Amino acid sequence: MILLASAFGQLALAHYLLLSGVLFVIGLVGFLSRRNLIVMFLCTELMFQAAAIAFVAVGRYYYDFSGQVFVIFILTVAAAEAALALALVVLLFRRKPTLNAEDWRDLSE
Amino acid sequence: MIWGWILLLLPIAGGLVVVGSSARAAKSIALLTTLATFGASIAAAIEFDVWGTGDFGLVSSIPWLPEVGINLSIGADSVAMMLVLLTTLLMPLAVLGSWTAVGERLKEYYGWLLLIESAMIGVFLARDLVFFYICFEFTLVPMYFLIAIYGGSGRARACVKFFLYTFTGSLIALVGFLFVAWSYAETTGSWSFQIATLCEYASESLTLREQVWVLTALVIGFAVKIPLFPVHTWLPLAHTEAPTAGSVILAGVLLKLGTYGIFRFVLPMTPEAVVEWAPVLGILAIIGILYAGLICWVQTDVKKLVAYSSVSHLGFCVLGLFALNPMGLQGAVLYMINHGLSTGALFFLVGMMYERYHTRDMNAIGGLAKRMPVWAFFMVFFVLASVGLPGLNGFVSEFLCLIGTFAAGDSGSYPGVMGPWFAAFAALGMVIAAMYLLIMVGKIVFGSLKEPATDDHHGLPADLSAREITVLVPLAVLCVLLGVQPWIAMDAMVGSVNETLAAYPEIVKDAMQQVADAGSSVLSGGVNP
Amino acid sequence: MILSSIIQRIVLATVESGGLAQPETEPVISSDVVVATHHWWAGFILYLPLISLILCGLCAAMKVKSKLPAWITTVCLLGSFVLSLLLYFDYGGSPELIPLLSWINLADPGGNFSGLSANFTFYIDSLSLLWIMFVTGLGTLITFYASEYMESDLGKGYTRFFAGVSVFLFAMVALVLADNLLMLYLGWEGVGFASYWLIGYYYQRPAAVAAAKKAFIMNRIGDLGLALAIYLIWTTFGTIQYDELMDVIQSGSWKESYDGWTIDAIPWFLMLAAFGKSAQIPLYVWLPDAMEGPTPVSALIHAATMVTAGIYLVARTYEFFLLSPESLHVVAWVGGVTALLAATIGLAQHDIKRIMAYSTVSQLGYMFLGLGVLSTYGAAYHVFTHAFFKAVLFLTCGAIMHGFAGQLDLRKLSGLIRIPGWRITSIAMLIGCLALAGFPLTSGYFSKDAILAEAFITQGPGFEALGWMAIFTAFLTAYYTFRVWFRVCAGKVEYEPGDEHHGDDDHGHHSEAFHPHAPRFAMNFVMAVIAIGALAASVPYFMDTKADEALAGGWVADMVHDSTAQGGLPGLDRHGQSMGDIVEHGHAGHQGEGDHAHPTLFGMDVHTAMYVISGVVGGLGLLLAAWLHLFRRQDADRLKAFLQRHWWIAWLPRAMEHKWYVDEIYQGLIRAPLWIASHLMYAFDRFLIDGLLVDGIARIPRMVARWFQPLHNGIVQSYAVTMAGGVALIALLMILFLQFWKIGGGG
Repeated sequence: MILLASAFGQLALAHYLLLSGVLFVIGLVGFLSRRNLIVMFLCTELMFQAAAIAFVAVGRYYYDFSGQVFVIFILTVAAAEAALALALVVLLFRRKPTLNAEDWRDLSE
Repeated sequence: MIWGWILLLLPIAGGLVVVGSSARAAKSIALLTTLATFGASIAAAIEFDVWGTGDFGLVSSIPWLPEVGINLSIGADSVAMMLVLLTTLLMPLAVLGSWTAVGERLKEYYGWLLLIESAMIGVFLARDLVFFYICFEFTLVPMYFLIAIYGGSGRARACVKFFLYTFTGSLIALVGFLFVAWSYAETTGSWSFQIATLCEYASESLTLREQVWVLTALVIGFAVKIPLFPVHTWLPLAHTEAPTAGSVILAGVLLKLGTYGIFRFVLPMTPEAVVEWAPVLGILAIIGILYAGLICWVQTDVKKLVAYSSVSHLGFCVLGLFALNPMGLQGAVLYMINHGLSTGALFFLVGMMYERYHTRDMNAIGGLAKRMPVWAFFMVFFVLASVGLPGLNGFVSEFLCLIGTFAAGDSGSYPGVMGPWFAAFAALGMVIAAMYLLIMVGKIVFGSLKEPATDDHHGLPADLSAREITVLVPLAVLCVLLGVQPWIAMDAMVGSVNETLAAYPEIVKDAMQQVADAGSSVLSGGVNP
Repeated sequence: MILSSIIQRIVLATVESGGLAQPETEPVISSDVVVATHHWWAGFILYLPLISLILCGLCAAMKVKSKLPAWITTVCLLGSFVLSLLLYFDYGGSPELIPLLSWINLADPGGNFSGLSANFTFYIDSLSLLWIMFVTGLGTLITFYASEYMESDLGKGYTRFFAGVSVFLFAMVALVLADNLLMLYLGWEGVGFASYWLIGYYYQRPAAVAAAKKAFIMNRIGDLGLALAIYLIWTTFGTIQYDELMDVIQSGSWKESYDGWTIDAIPWFLMLAAFGKSAQIPLYVWLPDAMEGPTPVSALIHAATMVTAGIYLVARTYEFFLLSPESLHVVAWVGGVTALLAATIGLAQHDIKRIMAYSTVSQLGYMFLGLGVLSTYGAAYHVFTHAFFKAVLFLTCGAIMHGFAGQLDLRKLSGLIRIPGWRITSIAMLIGCLALAGFPLTSGYFSKDAILAEAFITQGPGFEALGWMAIFTAFLTAYYTFRVWFRVCAGKVEYEPGDEHHGDDDHGHHSEAFHPHAPRFAMNFVMAVIAIGALAASVPYFMDTKADEALAGGWVADMVHDSTAQGGLPGLDRHGQSMGDIVEHGHAGHQGEGDHAHPTLFGMDVHTAMYVISGVVGGLGLLLAAWLHLFRRQDADRLKAFLQRHWWIAWLPRAMEHKWYVDEIYQGLIRAPLWIASHLMYAFDRFLIDGLLVDGIARIPRMVARWFQPLHNGIVQSYAVTMAGGVALIALLMILFLQFWKIGGGG
């Protein structure tokens, strides 16, 4: 336990935030560059988790449990969103057998 | 105590059951639910032990966001209770009236109907401003879908206009409400959204200038609902395109939300501003009466005619509200009920005709008395109730509104800021109403028979069926009852009305004194020539 | 418990207690008005027509095809009549209040107004008794007549007809017996509605529908006047109950809070109401059109009873007119001019029913003239006699119409008296004509004289000219009346059937073998009874039931004496009140020992002179009619040709035949401009308010949105870029801002 604690102790807040930032950027770049709806969706999940890591890290840093509360909240939202988004993707795929985002431009009209 | 919650929740529960059930059972469940709600409202009316006083009955409260003073607080004074009764009475009839008219997406339809019933009851039962506002706005949603899905050919435009117009109006009213609540919190240091508390605070502590702003915001919101000239143009469109039950609910209850709002908020909250601005609102009401009446005259669409007649009729109601004396105010409240009964019935009748001929064009149909004598009887009956034939309900309320307006001069124990001229011009509306309604009757009911080609009246009997007669009879009975023994309603509401008006005589006298002192003529519109 | 308290709340008089269940605002009963709860049964005068209506409704629901509705109605109305008679004989001589049901009671918590109280309560005085007796009596008889007249509509509109008659009688009783102006208003609009119902009885005929609508709307204009008058009266005097009003006016207590203009406005609005209901200028045009209704309706409603409601209203509210005497001058002039105008139109019509309609307008004009020249007695008496003789004239017209397949053109009927079965009709018509023409010793002669003489006695602006005008009108009346009789009943037998028939076509008209079918028992009986009544209506003139010697005019004068209309009695001291002084009036001479010089005419007492003049004038008219329409009918044609040939006179008969183009003038001056205005308003509503303002404002957000529209290209990634860019921008701004803040704060 002490070992573990000291190991954590070596990790500063900055590490967590860095991880969070990296995850977020990976998600963002993925979202912007890929055209497949499911991959795009996965990328958004990645960004969510990046935010969650930042929350829990900052929460731990300040000994404030609100951060953890938010993480639970984010997870719930992400789960709900996943269910909804995947369902929508399936519906879309049934209409037109493609998952390319650009093929669905007409949805904006 | 519990009856209020039952009234509020029963329709929603029924609505959920309807949505979960099969399409075949939807009608019956909806009918049973609305009937049960009506029964509950009767029980509540019996339980309600403050008839005739100004107190609130059925009071109950559940904390919601107590930190900012928001509670689910319900209760009704006698005026609200009467409007609840009107609502719960009209709903089973609306369900019964759309029995054959609506053929598709039944579950949704009856679900929306039940949902709107809850929302309307919520408006009348709310004692908390936030709860009131939520219900007030929520009435729009079911009505939007009722028009958008089940409406006539122009429904897309109609529902959007209806929604946006009334929504914008109520947002402006919300600003007024929030100002009062904020001001209360500023002054006392704690939040409250209790209507009674805010009314008392606003009438006592706001300056005249602030009151005028609050009045303007609230009146804009409610005037759109009533609707008052010149913000009435959504109504003919919405009415014309709405399905029959939608029109009935719209005319019967939703329009009354505006006048009820004036009764519940504007009059008690901003008395000094009301005294200053009542003549202007009175003039708008009179313009509405005459203008909409004359427009009715040149309509060819029966439903549009009845819709415009609502604009004209509710002008009398607004006049009564701002007469600031017991005659006018009692007349106005009676008018809300009576208009709901007679105009609701007229929409039912037009709907029954439309169901058979699929047209509402007065030039395409004529002389239906020959084909549908029972329908013709009811048509003439409700037209007469609407015209204000003495002995029927419309007369009593119209008479009280007008005599209240007439007496609202600068003398008497209830001095007001209108007067004989207002009443004289408004009374011309009586003649115009007779003109357009009788012309309509002369065209579609009497004359030589003229009907569009129809094989079998779209599956309905030529004349009214027993179901349709069942829809109309309760309304007709109430029309006669309230015409011959109006004291039933008048005695019941007298306490609330007097409570609302209690502060006014002093304020009017002060205002007149100030005017006299200043030598200005802000109020001269109401002073006898 | 609850039930009994509700009943107590509804029913004002409870028989068991024998007392008055007081409403919340206790009426202030004046000293000479008694509350007569022991006359509770009088309520059935009102209820019986209602019961009849309900039973007729049941008959309609059960599709009864027999004459049952007619018998129900007749019996119910007979009951009302008998009760009216009982009430008359039981009447104690001072006005009574009979409380029935509560209606509108509005106490004023502030206490300045006495509240607004209008209940279903009867106010019985001799004036209402007079009216109620002839209303219910004639109603019964004419219903009986209609049971035969309407028989061709058996199973179709028969029930509807008698239901309408029941509604009418109900409303008329409410109007006459009301104790307050609001209940009178109920009856007032109620009779208007019944009239609408019955004029539009043949609802498939466009003319009938139009006439019904016109009648209702014209009446509604009058009703507007009555409504405004009620508001004015209530705000001025604080009550609308007759007895309280009389008290307040006579005590003068209203003057304390009086602000100066309402007194003069009240009679004008009352006048508007009366002119609407009683078909006077400018609202008379509905009455001739109302002849589209079945003839019994014309006889009952549009001749005998309903149209006299205006006279009743003025008589009932005479105190208000006396408070503002100029209004009476207007009443007199409007009455006189209407009488003349309608008589001239009557001269040129060919439809006998229309002639009778115009003569009704004309006679109603006489009645208003009587009211205007302070002869309520004359007006009431003329109402009474007119009810009989005009009813009989209409009923005979109806019999002719019934028998000759709708033929009413007097050029196509002749010599009826010689056709078997038509004798009673012809004689009854003769009696009616004589009375209408004011032939000496008939009832119309006495009642018309009472008005004419008073026009010369009472001083007012141009009243003498008005008197001469009325005499000229009497001449015209005699002429056109006998034009009808000589054309239709006398002369050689000649007739053509009409081209239509009320109801069925089973009479085989248009065929060679047209036989007029003569009236049978019910119609003959009723015509005979009412004709006898028209003759006997002169008897009351000689009856003197009261020991008041100063009072001339017999029974009818007595009947007016105790009422609110007593201000217009001959030879009555006006209680020494101010109104006597206000009205410049030469009546003092009627006082037995009067020291005023009695006005004279040709050296004779006015009344005597008038007997002579009107007798002579009536005779002249009759002779002229006999010459032109009986002995030398070709002279009439020659006269007509002569008139039409000369341009300087040709307009006169044409204008008369076209009713002086009044309908067209109304159409052009009022209806058409309003119609155009309405269309303009509708356009304004659609294009300006809705199109420009509402939709215009709604377009603003859309236009703003159009600038940003390119951003919405449907590519999710581009949205994401925008979003990310936006976030970055905001973050940048925040950093810069914080930086700046720090610098600013630091500096």
